[in-house]
Amino acid sequence: MSTFSGLSTALSSLNAQRQALQVSGQNIANANTVGYTRQRADLQSVDATSVPSLFSTPLGPGNGVSAVGIARLGDDFLDARLRTQTSQASFASANATTYTRLESVVTEPSDTGLASGLQQFWTAWEDVANAPDSGATRTALMGKATVLTNQISDTYRAYEGQWTQARTEAVATVSQVNTLASSVADLNNQIRGVLVSGGSANELVDKRSVIITQLSGLVGASARAMPDGTVNVMVGGNPLVSGDRAQAIELDGSFAMSAATAEPPVATDVIRLSWSTTGTALNLEGGSLAGTVSSLQPASSGGPIASAVGKLNDLATSVATAVNTVHAGGQTLAAPPNDTGVAFFSFTASLPAALGLKVAITDPNMVAAGNPGDGTLDGSTADQISQLREGTASPDAGWRNFVTDLGVASAAATRRSSVAETTRASAENLQMSNASVDVDEEMTNMLSFQRAYEGSARVLTAIDQMLDTLINRTGLVGR
Amino acid sequence: MISRVTQQTIQHSALAGLQTNLGKVSDLQARMSSGKKITKPSDDPSGSARTMALRADKAAATQATRNADDGIAWLGTTDNAMQSSITALRRARDLTVQAASSGSVGASSREAIATEIDGIRDQLLDLANSTVQGRAVFAGTTGDGKAFDDGSSATPYAWHGTAGATVERRLSPDATVRVDSDGAAAFGQGATSVFAMLDSLSADLRGGAEVSGRLSDIDTKLNGMLSQVANVGIRYKQVDDAKTAITAKIQDTKSNISGIEDIDLAETIMELNMQQVAYQGALGSAAKVLQPTLMDFLR
Repeated sequence: MSTFSGLSTALSSLNAQRQALQVSGQNIANANTVGYTRQRADLQSVDATSVPSLFSTPLGPGNGVSAVGIARLGDDFLDARLRTQTSQASFASANATTYTRLESVVTEPSDTGLASGLQQFWTAWEDVANAPDSGATRTALMGKATVLTNQISDTYRAYEGQWTQARTEAVATVSQVNTLASSVADLNNQIRGVLVSGGSANELVDKRSVIITQLSGLVGASARAMPDGTVNVMVGGNPLVSGDRAQAIELDGSFAMSAATAEPPVATDVIRLSWSTTGTALNLEGGSLAGTVSSLQPASSGGPIASAVGKLNDLATSVATAVNTVHAGGQTLAAPPNDTGVAFFSFTASLPAALGLKVAITDPNMVAAGNPGDGTLDGSTADQISQLREGTASPDAGWRNFVTDLGVASAAATRRSSVAETTRASAENLQMSNASVDVDEEMTNMLSFQRAYEGSARVLTAIDQMLDTLINRTGLVGR
Repeated sequence: MISRVTQQTIQHSALAGLQTNLGKVSDLQARMSSGKKITKPSDDPSGSARTMALRADKAAATQATRNADDGIAWLGTTDNAMQSSITALRRARDLTVQAASSGSVGASSREAIATEIDGIRDQLLDLANSTVQGRAVFAGTTGDGKAFDDGSSATPYAWHGTAGATVERRLSPDATVRVDSDGAAAFGQGATSVFAMLDSLSADLRGGAEVSGRLSDIDTKLNGMLSQVANVGIRYKQVDDAKTAITAKIQDTKSNISGIEDIDLAETIMELNMQQVAYQGALGSAAKVLQPTLMDFLR
């Protein structure tokens, strides 16, 4: 054991404590950094030197301390749990958003919605029944009918707009996913390089972890750690990122709602996700993209927008069919051949029913108010048409059922979303409570590191004084 | 497991709590300012279904009051015309009785009576052609604007109505009421009409014939009119009663809609106040918890 060995022990402690203090400093500096995981300097005592021989035993105390590494105090299981919850919460939230938007278009219950448009249309028929001779009531009826067809087509346009917007969002999400995936691949590469050369890649790992959680929210990604420090990101059972390679995903399908949601569905037009390189279909299990893509599906696959649009088409068809059937049997005030058998509504053939519905007649006299043979000013046909609003099979009841069903579905989606959000928040809280920096704790650590540093310095001073005594004050006999 | 608590988790949960509180305050505020607790179907799906059905009922009932008002105008006009016709025909009967006492009536008097009978015929024809907004009430579905031709036309006293065709006003989804009257039943038509009878009566008077036999003809017509006027009276009352009922129903429906849709003001204000207290409490505690760190106590 060397005379000076105590000096190097004190020095190793000075170095190690300083390094630990620096880590505390880094922690405090990043106390508010999103995704930062607290770190600790791993201090390890250094063994005493031993004589290189068989059955050798260490001689004397150890050789001080060394900081063997900087540990990142994250918990992979908490991270994984947060990612699972994030993926579900984002899916539920995307669903709820779809329904909320659908609901905001119908503006029911109110005095201005489509239901009210229908009511005004029917009561206008009663006015015509009361005064078949009055051109004003006939014109008013045609006005109300035009308002109704406009309301139906406006609602259709609003839904189409919502569909187009959702599709655009899906495209943007896909490109965001691809960008994030290649970032993860890059980070994997860097991290592997740093680890191979023995460095600390903690900050890079934090960055990667944040991106992977983001990917969970978008496409329900899960992470699988590899022995070399890289992480494979799995989406729908296949690797989105494997080592330093990222697989791109893509969104296919028509840009037009009518084509993409056609019944029966056309395989090449339906909105779907696939892997760019292989073209294999990608079925997401969670994430907002899954919610958005499912909202774009045809009604037969449960697409909510397409079902709503289907109901609108049904409404348009049922109003037109019911009115036309009765109307054709009535007698108008116009000259033959337009005196009877006239259709009130017609459809533009190339358009969906809700969009193509229009009032077929332009001459108010061609409104059929009466029963043929019951006098010129009979109003019984108009009265009969006004009563089409009654009953459970009426267009009004159909619309009411649709609005109620939409309300129920929307309330359920919102509830599911808020429950999923609560679960996600608690998972996030757990993850944060483990990974986030506690300033008080760091302060305490700083105190202990500082004191240890001071102590080591004192050891150094003590040894120095010992040596001073030895060197300068001994052997002075006879001087 | 007692989880670790750090400044960040406190800050995070405090923020989440504040968000929730503020969200509730904003919901209540929105309810207060709109006065509605159902602004979209998902607020209360079954309530929305009911208010939508009630609104449909209200619209139908509002229209029914319009129908009833219109029906009352028709039946009122019909009733007036019938009452006046009966008075006029009674006058004709009195004159006939007078003329039948032949001994005391001279030729000039018979001429005067005949002239008055002609006048009564014209008056009856006018009454029979009564209109509501241009439509003859005694030939409801005709587009000709009158119920009977006059005597000098090619088809004297022809009725313009269609047998069996009626003018109805809808008072409810299940009930309509007839608001016109069968002119042919009330006044007869063509040669058998009351007008033709009066024509031949005045001709008899001028020709000096005995007219006492005419009294029974007049009585038959009078009875026909009386039964018609009773019928009109019954229908008038029916429409009037229905109108009262419909008005009450509209009020009921309105208050039902309001009961389902509108907020209870006192309750909402109370909730809002409670929520505000909770929000302020959350703010206060967040301010207290987030401020101190160990640094405040170490020198």
